[in-house]
Amino acid sequence: MVTPSFHLRLPASLESVSELLDALEAYVETAGIPPGTAARLALIAEEIAANVAMHAKGATFFELRIIPGEHVLRLSIEDDGPEYDPLARATPDTEAALEDRDVGGLGVHLVRQLTQEARYQREGGLNRLLCSLALAA
Amino acid sequence: MDITETTEGGKTVAILDGRLDTATAAVIETKLLALLEKGGVIADLAEVRYVSSAGLRVLLKAAKQAKATGASFAVVGLQPPVREVFEISGFDKIIPAYNTRAEAAAA
Repeated sequence: MVTPSFHLRLPASLESVSELLDALEAYVETAGIPPGTAARLALIAEEIAANVAMHAKGATFFELRIIPGEHVLRLSIEDDGPEYDPLARATPDTEAALEDRDVGGLGVHLVRQLTQEARYQREGGLNRLLCSLALAA
Repeated sequence: MDITETTEGGKTVAILDGRLDTATAAVIETKLLALLEKGGVIADLAEVRYVSSAGLRVLLKAAKQAKATGASFAVVGLQPPVREVFEISGFDKIIPAYNTRAEAAAA
């Protein structure tokens, strides 16, 4: 079976984040994406979409495309907010004691750790994050 | 997201069912922090297949409040995707996790 692709463009709002996750749940079921990959996919989509919805002033939309490759899903996530490279954020200290732990930057840290070849582009007034996700349980 | 309450060995168990994400974080935070006011809390995540950084933020807040007031806070029943997120975030080192409610209650 050929894994279908996915494309969804939603308004940049927090309500859209839930809509995106619901749409992805339906997609991974139809596409037969392994549960481990499905969970990572949802996480990456939410972290980026929530970031745009909460912090990208003036953004009107975000858009997720998933192009299945061999043993891999290629993701493209775009928004029309101000120029922002999430990958440039500092890595949080995941060894700190409870009192010193701060969750800032944790979402991006998860995206970096769970994906391969993550890269950021700014083009035509859009932020674009490209990354690959291994198709594995 | 549904939250139901029960008890185990004198501690409150909050059974979470659904996604612990951007959309549900606020309501879960309110609930967990209110329960912690009354004593130790065990968050049962066996029916949670998904935790994002918004969910981690809630669990961190609960763990910090527990530490500040001397109450206990633990999680049980971490599913593989949730465990993965815990490990990548280093949360496995700061929030006690057990396999069962009974183990968490006895700890």
